[in-house]
Amino acid sequence: MDFSRVLSCALDIGEQMLVSGAEIYRVEDCIRRICFAYGASHVDVFTITSSIVVTVQQPDGQRLTQTRRIESYKTNLDRVDLLNELSREICRRHMSYAEFLEKYQGILNKKPYPQWVETIGYAMAASGFTMFFGGTWRDGLVALVIGAVVKGVVWLVDAVNFNRVLSNLIAAFAMSILAILAGRCGLADKVDMLVMGSIMLVIPGAALTNSLRDMISGDTMAGLLRFSEACILALAIAAGYLLASACLGGAAV
Amino acid sequence: MRSVVIQLLMSFVGTFSFSVLFNVRGKKLLLAGIGGVASWGLFLLLESWLPSAPLRYFWCSSFVAVYAEILARILKTPATTFLIPCMLPLIPGSALYNTMRYALDKQWRHCLSQALYTLSLSLSLALGIIAVLSVFGVVIQILGRIWYYNRQKKAKEKEHTP
Repeated sequence: MDFSRVLSCALDIGEQMLVSGAEIYRVEDCIRRICFAYGASHVDVFTITSSIVVTVQQPDGQRLTQTRRIESYKTNLDRVDLLNELSREICRRHMSYAEFLEKYQGILNKKPYPQWVETIGYAMAASGFTMFFGGTWRDGLVALVIGAVVKGVVWLVDAVNFNRVLSNLIAAFAMSILAILAGRCGLADKVDMLVMGSIMLVIPGAALTNSLRDMISGDTMAGLLRFSEACILALAIAAGYLLASACLGGAAV
Repeated sequence: MRSVVIQLLMSFVGTFSFSVLFNVRGKKLLLAGIGGVASWGLFLLLESWLPSAPLRYFWCSSFVAVYAEILARILKTPATTFLIPCMLPLIPGSALYNTMRYALDKQWRHCLSQALYTLSLSLSLALGIIAVLSVFGVVIQILGRIWYYNRQKKAKEKEHTP
C-alpha cells in the first residue's frame, strides 16, 4: 500500500474529528496511531484549530509531509465517536484502502437528525434554559417560539455562507428583538431570563471550556486560538444584543 | 423548594435538547441529560457548605468529568460525548448576560468585575476537568501495572508448580 495514501486517510479522519469537536490531543493521537499501525518509523503531528501538519518517516526511510487547512466547524459528537471507533479498528487490523474508504464514506454519509427534530431541539433548549434561569412558564412558551425562529435564522445564515462572527451577531440580534418585543407586548414576564435562556443557544461555552482544557494540557497555541475565537464570538453576541436594545429605544426591559 | 424542582427538571430538558443539536444518539442522549441534572443538583446541594461559586464550579465540573470518563469506559466512546453536554447547565450564561447588561447601562466598573467573574467561573470549570483527567490517567496506568504484575506473578507460580 502506498504510504501517501495511508497519510491522507489518517488526515481525513483527523480533519473530520477536529471539525466535529474532538480535542487536539485526541486528533493528534489518532493520526499518530494510524501511521504507526501501517509501519511508519517516526511521526510528527502538529495541530491547531485551523490546520493539521503531519510529517511521517516511511519504513524505507523517506519522509513525507501533508497538511490540511480546516475551514469551518460543526459539532457532531456522534461522528467523533464513530471515527474514533474506525481509527481503533485500523490499528487493530490492517484494512485495505478500499475498505477504509467505504467505511469512512459510510460515516460521513450518515444522516444527522432531520431538520424538524433540530428545530424542536432548538425550541426545547431555549425554553428549558429560560425556565432554568428562573423564567415563568409563559416565558418558556415564548422561548419555544424564539428557539424555532433562531433555528430558521441559523439555517438561513448558513445557506448564504456568512462568516461565524456575523452569523452569531445576527442570531443574537434576532432573539433579543423578539424577547424584548414579547416583553413589551406583555407576553413574557421576565425578559432578562428570556434573553439569557435564548443566548445559551449561541454561546460558545463548549469552545471556551475546550480551549482552556487544551491550554492547560499543553496545547497552548491551539488553546489560545480557540480562546480568542470564543471571546470574539461572545463579543459578537453581546453586540447583537446591544444593537437590538438600542434599536428598540435603549432600555432592555 | 418548587424552584429547585423546576431547575432540576429544566436542566434535564435543556441538556437533553442540546445534545440533540450536538447529534448525540440513542441512550447516550438520556445519559447526557441525567449528567446535566446531576451536575446542577450537586451545585445546589453544595451551596450551604461552599458559598464561593467558583469553588463549587470546580467540584461540579470534576464530578462531570468523572461521570463522563466512567461512562466513556463502559460504553467505549470518547469522553467528550458526555463532557460537552453535561457541562451545559454550568456554563456561565447568566454571568455573561449580566456583563452585557452593565455594558448597556454604561456601568463600566460593574461590567469589568462581572466579566472577570465570568472568566473565573470558566477557569474553574476547566481546572476541574483537567484535575480529573490527569488523575484518571495516572490511576488507569497504576491499575494497568498492577494487572501486569499479577499476571507475571501467576505465570511464575505456574512455572514452579509442576
